[in-house]
Amino acid sequence: MTDTLKPTDVEILDASDQVPADSIAKKKLGIGFWLAISWLVFIVGLAVFAPVLPLKDPDQNFIQTEEKENAITGRVTESPIQPPYAPSGDHLFGTDSDARDVLSRTIYGARVSLVVGFAAIAFGMLIGGSLGMIAGFFGGTFDKVVSFLFLVLLSFPALVLAILITTLAERSLFTISLTLGILAVAPVGRLARAATLVFAEREFVAASRTLGAKPSRILRREILPNVMIPMSALALLGMGVSIVAEGALAFLGLSVEKGSTWGKLIRTAVNSTSDLENAPWMAFTPIGALFLTVMALNFAGDRLRDYFDVKELSI
Amino acid sequence: MMIALLVAVSMLTFGAMSLLGDPLFNILGPVAGDTENPENLAKINAAKEQYYLDKPLPERYVRWAGDFLTGDFGVQFSTDGQPPVANLIKERLPRTLRLMVMAQILAVAIAIPWGVLAASRANKPSDRISTFTAFLFVSLPNFALAVILFYVFALKLDWLPDTYNATDPFFGFTHKHRFTQLLLPAFTLALPTASVYQRLLRTDLITTLQEDFILMARAKGESRRKVLYGHALRPSLFSVVTIFGINAGALIGGALVVEIYFRIPGVGTAIVEAVLREDFPVVLALVMIIATGFVVLNFLVDILYTFIDPRVRR
Repeated sequence: MTDTLKPTDVEILDASDQVPADSIAKKKLGIGFWLAISWLVFIVGLAVFAPVLPLKDPDQNFIQTEEKENAITGRVTESPIQPPYAPSGDHLFGTDSDARDVLSRTIYGARVSLVVGFAAIAFGMLIGGSLGMIAGFFGGTFDKVVSFLFLVLLSFPALVLAILITTLAERSLFTISLTLGILAVAPVGRLARAATLVFAEREFVAASRTLGAKPSRILRREILPNVMIPMSALALLGMGVSIVAEGALAFLGLSVEKGSTWGKLIRTAVNSTSDLENAPWMAFTPIGALFLTVMALNFAGDRLRDYFDVKELSI
Repeated sequence: MMIALLVAVSMLTFGAMSLLGDPLFNILGPVAGDTENPENLAKINAAKEQYYLDKPLPERYVRWAGDFLTGDFGVQFSTDGQPPVANLIKERLPRTLRLMVMAQILAVAIAIPWGVLAASRANKPSDRISTFTAFLFVSLPNFALAVILFYVFALKLDWLPDTYNATDPFFGFTHKHRFTQLLLPAFTLALPTASVYQRLLRTDLITTLQEDFILMARAKGESRRKVLYGHALRPSLFSVVTIFGINAGALIGGALVVEIYFRIPGVGTAIVEAVLREDFPVVLALVMIIATGFVVLNFLVDILYTFIDPRVRR
């Protein structure tokens, strides 16, 4: 006779203490994650290869004609039909009010939207990430100054800051990306700083220091690879935010002046109420593309965050 | 700390605007470049003196800050100075505030029953669906949501008016009419906000529902509804309260877009108009007011935080 409880007994004592199957499965990325990634690869592929794909020219006007019989003379003539045209086999997602193909315009719009989103978050990662890591690692006055700078950037509501910068500079692809990149600096920097603070205390950093490594080497070889993990999740979420922000700027008429983006397509499609009512495909195709992309980015970022169990991440 | 933050924000805004823009050009138009003509030169000098443009930048900043603190926000460049910016703000700000308050009330009104429902059926199919729906709303940019809601409720179902462009929704109408006109914009702002609140409330409620006092209440035989709303809800509202301030910034950004789309003449419309006309005093004043409101609100939430949760006081 023994007093010890076997694991099976414990289970019988309190069934509710079992680890729910849910939290074990949590450590998998899941099918949703890979679906999201597939969509992202698909849309990026479309955008990159748009010129070589068998797409219609996004700027060509595909005026359709119909045969009309003149009531008086009885002559049959070809006369143009007033666009926009509804979706058909020829134009899968219809045409806009200038008879241009909505699908190929949306795909070409992806080129600018995705580049802006990617460039913005890359800039934020580079500047915010390095500032945050250096501030977190060395501390002192530099840390105080950088933290205050982040706080100042965060006290502007993001869109207001973006509007402010776009007022002052000409609106090229470069300045829009830079503007959204500046918006990304503070959130990314704060996360990088917080993560660096945690890792700087760890044994492997102390070991490296004892071995005589210079701070720059410790930062690059020991801390950066660890900080990159939570940052990768933030990069996905941040890219979604940047794409939305570009869309919002475009919606306000403040985005890139040349070329089309999803935001600009939506703006032109909803400018007149009758267009929206009679040709909803003009607005809903770019909205759908934007929505799916942002959702995929958010979902993949969310899953990655859960996967690596990053607590201090929030936008 | 808060003051230092606001000073830094204002210096940044002011410096950027003064260095990158050419205010003189905005006041006088093409005349500003013409220094040959003595008549135009006199105009330029007069304008420089009037708007302190001949003074060095720090002095201009101090003068502007002094004026700003006493409620003198300067003049609108684009309208030859009349009416002053203060009047514009007095006219536009209440509308935006009204929209935002309405959106917040709607958001809370949607989020509470939604969150309670989700938490009481945690991890069941209906909860999964509601989590997914919340995720959809969070991922949907507010300008896209505005278009979708407008298309469905104003154009197809015709439940709500679609004539925002015809007139200013604030004048010459009854209260009821104003309310229905603001309903769609407010919903556009409220749905994503409600989703965020719902997710937080759900998490907190699930934790609360495992407490002993809930078991006690159930053991007493109280109805499910009473347990959920009467006992569990209040101690679970903590996260929702704290996210209030943080959300204000997102809501302001959203309000800009929504105001433009639904053609509501509020602060958002004013700021975009001013940006497009390069009317610097207006942009400066509006940015400062929004940033101040945002910083102060977050500060108040921080204080509120210590009142709700004594643990933070340490």
